[in-house]
Amino acid sequence: MKKILLFSFSLFAIALVHAQQNGAKLPALDKSPMDMVYYPVNYPILKIQDKITQPLISRVIYSRPQKANRIVFGELVEYGQVWRLGANEATEIEFFQNVRIANKNIPKGKYTLFAIVNPDKWTLILNKETDVWGAFKYDEKKDVVRTTVPVQKLPESADAFSIVFEKVTSGVNLVFAWDDVKVAMPFTFTDIK
Amino acid sequence: MKLFFLLVYSILWISCNRQSKEPSSNIIIGRDTNVFRPEVANPYVSQDISPVDISYYPVDYPVQKMTDPSIPLPVARIIYSRPQRQGRSIFGSLLKFGEPWRLGANEATEIELFQTVRSGKQTLNKGRYILYCIPQADKWTIHFNTNIYSWGLTQHKELNVYAIEVPVQKIVNPLEYFTIVFQKTDAGADVIFAWDEVEARLPLIF
Repeated sequence: MKKILLFSFSLFAIALVHAQQNGAKLPALDKSPMDMVYYPVNYPILKIQDKITQPLISRVIYSRPQKANRIVFGELVEYGQVWRLGANEATEIEFFQNVRIANKNIPKGKYTLFAIVNPDKWTLILNKETDVWGAFKYDEKKDVVRTTVPVQKLPESADAFSIVFEKVTSGVNLVFAWDDVKVAMPFTFTDIK
Repeated sequence: MKLFFLLVYSILWISCNRQSKEPSSNIIIGRDTNVFRPEVANPYVSQDISPVDISYYPVDYPVQKMTDPSIPLPVARIIYSRPQRQGRSIFGSLLKFGEPWRLGANEATEIELFQTVRSGKQTLNKGRYILYCIPQADKWTIHFNTNIYSWGLTQHKELNVYAIEVPVQKIVNPLEYFTIVFQKTDAGADVIFAWDEVEARLPLIF
């Protein structure tokens, strides 16, 4: 009994030391580091170069998990489940202008992006609840728009999950790429002054 | 006796959980070199060598929101990039004393205030600002500026809205990665800026 007690106390002491080391609470680098993208692409750089020809439309802040030799879709990201389109904090999209997605007017503002991934198509979701962690408390009632888009195969696998804006003739595609697939969420905007 | 063991083990359990969520600064340094891999093949955008990170007050707000969906809006959040030391001498060398620094890397560091706060005697209205500092050996001048969504290399002084001088303190364990984190105080919270062997604290009152 004494031994158990002693053992418990030493564990306790070790735990205390750990807790003290943690006292500073300075966070380590995330394994899935965050990144952000703007549309117009590279807007902050254009801004300091005085090369802006178009007002700011959108910004995405997301975390970038890595494949790291895992099977991504169907395993790590389960089919048919709501996924935060990134890691850690749920992915945030902000529109600085009103936009249209899937024939629906989306007022400017901050939204959270989720996806329901399937082998051949993804359902992309804009949801009003911002500053959230993951999709653990995802509430369908707060959806603003859902749009289902086809999956395209990539010639080369992307190890880090990537989100980019691509200009197309009809507007802009928000492209999500990871492993050997990509999907594109088209949106348009009109009220540019 | 049973109760005692239960107590010890629950404290242990909590400590271990804390450990997994908040790695100690020792672990930071050990992991730095292999935390990211440059990816040539990514046809979209390669990983930043100074990755973006986000800090909230309340600390870990999005995590707290999971257990308490009715939690009020956060007080503030900061989005910044995390350059690493890589064996270089930082303050007074890589970052020249007396010259503006974006308090990060790449895009200018952004602070969003979800409510009006005070710092020193100044009131800061809710909204977004960029932060930069002018470091000196013993003190930094931290500026709030309204040139948001900009790359951090140039500062438009005419858009400065607030400046505060804060002392620089030595820290025990040098940090490989530049770190911004909020810490609760009696009056509100400090924004801690820490890198290499120093930290500076920006007091916010709310």
